Amino acid sequence: MADSPSPDSEPTTRTLLRRVLDTADVRSPRRRRSARNAIQRSVFETTSSRSLGSQTKTSVRRRSHGARSIGRLAHVQASAYLEKDTPRTLLKNILLTAPESSIMMPNPVVKLVPLSQVVQSYRRESSQGSLELQLPELDPPTTLGPGLPTSSRKKQRLRLSVFQQEVNQGLPLSQGEVPNFPYASFLFTRSLNLTFTTPLQPQSVRRPGLARRPPTRRAVDVGALLQDLQDNSVASAPPGDSLRIPVATQPTNIVLEDTQPFSQPLVSSFPSVHHSLPHPPHTGVEDAERTLDRRTWNSGLELQDHMSRTDYATTSSPISELQPPLPEVTEAAGSEEAVRVKELEGSSEDEDTSGEPASPELATSTPELLQLPPPPGVGVLPSEPLEPVPARLPSRPRAAGPRPYRDPYRTGLSHYVKLFSFHAKMPMEKKAVEMVERCLDKYFQNLCNDLEVFAAHAGRKTVKPEDLELLLRRQGLVTDEVSMHVLVEQHLPMEYRQLLIPCAFSGNSVFPAH
Amino acid sequence: MKEAEAEEQQEFSYQQRLKAAVHYTMGCLCNEVALDKEVQFSKQTIAAISEVTFQQCEHFAKDLEMFARHAKRSTISTEDVKLLARRSNSLLKYITEKNEEIAQLNQEQKAKKKKKLENETKNSIEPEDTEVMESEN
Repeated sequence: MADSPSPDSEPTTRTLLRRVLDTADVRSPRRRRSARNAIQRSVFETTSSRSLGSQTKTSVRRRSHGARSIGRLAHVQASAYLEKDTPRTLLKNILLTAPESSIMMPNPVVKLVPLSQVVQSYRRESSQGSLELQLPELDPPTTLGPGLPTSSRKKQRLRLSVFQQEVNQGLPLSQGEVPNFPYASFLFTRSLNLTFTTPLQPQSVRRPGLARRPPTRRAVDVGALLQDLQDNSVASAPPGDSLRIPVATQPTNIVLEDTQPFSQPLVSSFPSVHHSLPHPPHTGVEDAERTLDRRTWNSGLELQDHMSRTDYATTSSPISELQPPLPEVTEAAGSEEAVRVKELEGSSEDEDTSGEPASPELATSTPELLQLPPPPGVGVLPSEPLEPVPARLPSRPRAAGPRPYRDPYRTGLSHYVKLFSFHAKMPMEKKAVEMVERCLDKYFQNLCNDLEVFAAHAGRKTVKPEDLELLLRRQGLVTDEVSMHVLVEQHLPMEYRQLLIPCAFSGNSVFPAH
Repeated sequence: MKEAEAEEQQEFSYQQRLKAAVHYTMGCLCNEVALDKEVQFSKQTIAAISEVTFQQCEHFAKDLEMFARHAKRSTISTEDVKLLARRSNSLLKYITEKNEEIAQLNQEQKAKKKKKLENETKNSIEPEDTEVMESEN
């Protein structure tokens, strides 16, 4: 056993430890070995990192198989503990009691300290070329603790500077005592450099999706939106904000908005649909306009089932009729719309998509539809959205200045058109945007007609999820391999999954169990 | 394994025969149209159209089956066919007209059958009635 006296007369832990270990009743050879190693390590610990005495708690986790723990426990309790506990249990105790600190990059100190331990232990055991060995060991600690609290970051940062100072101070002092210590310090500094170069990795590892996103996308989105807003001369916040506002409560929005621009309309509109109340149509028309943006797609689905020709003003009477069928339709609408958004780009960009039964029919029907008089559904669409003008946007300041007349059944599509222009990645002419709007309109009308016909085909007057499933089947989205529930899970927010899929959260447990 | 392969081959050859039949019919139709409109059809055109027709037939069949199942029936009916053809107005009109004709025919046939049955039953009942009356008497 090493018995070089503790040079710096730090009486408490070291001496206690040595005494304890000398006198402890060693039960197994493992014990003895670990005790020996512990003592050896403790010697070097004292010489080099005495100032880190309190800070090496975390290092213990990595390297010292109970040396520190033994020391501390001895400090705290009687030596009898050593006989009962194995180094592993002691380590566990420390893990339980020690303050949390992140092993990841925000805590470069932590890495440095274990590295120092590593350095010393390796110096004893292996050759000096072991620096390379240390590098891979650093990596696992970095990826281990993603969930550790960040509150200790600042503390650790402070310690880093302190550590730096103390290392610089401690180096000259302890040079004489332990041979090869300059090498240790050299390793320290080298390790310092090493660890400081790793910081980038953990951050990206933690949030891979966001790190890879090209930063320019955001700028395009806002720019195009603002341009369109100016064109429409609606002096309000960009639709992105207005969409976010009503859904302030749900945290899932944030994730969805960052990673999937599609789901914005869904996330914002669905809760509003479900919480909507019949509302007199004479509320802030501005609110109506905004809800129109989000609602017309929904309206298209519902209205065509129930009302064919209703005037814009006489909405109050049909509203009550709408209320009961709404809940059924909205759920159906939800799953359809999620897929619809995906379909949008494919259909609007290229109407000749092959392999889909709907699209050749669409192509043939467009010449017919263009011949039709202004579609009878004009009055249909706007009447419904007023109904869900709910108390979501209670106190929105009125837009300044007169607002030009907005074609009611086009306004709802403006959001999809903006999405389209966003994904086009190049600026679009106004005429092109209008064309896209018209195509989208026809497309949605077609879909709604289909839904109505399907419902009638089954002898019903209400559109139900079965009708939507049939529609999706015809689109080729629901196949024998992919069921509608899969699509619901993929594209809709969690809340609707619960509503649409029976036993979504049952977790495969059946009662009564067999 | 071998049976499966043999079946597959059979199916494939069956499919090929069907495709050939469609192609032949398409050729005849195209020739008619060519004579009518005084335009010429190249072979690739005919081949392309027949290929598309064949695939459309597959689609239609699947759709019809889906519609029938949607209406909770196990047989494809004229309603399903009408639903399928709703896209193009002229086709829909044509189909509905044909449907009405067929319905009329069916009704006429049924009426005829009923008459026959009635006659037979009348003939059989009358002697019975007379018997009954006689017996009552």
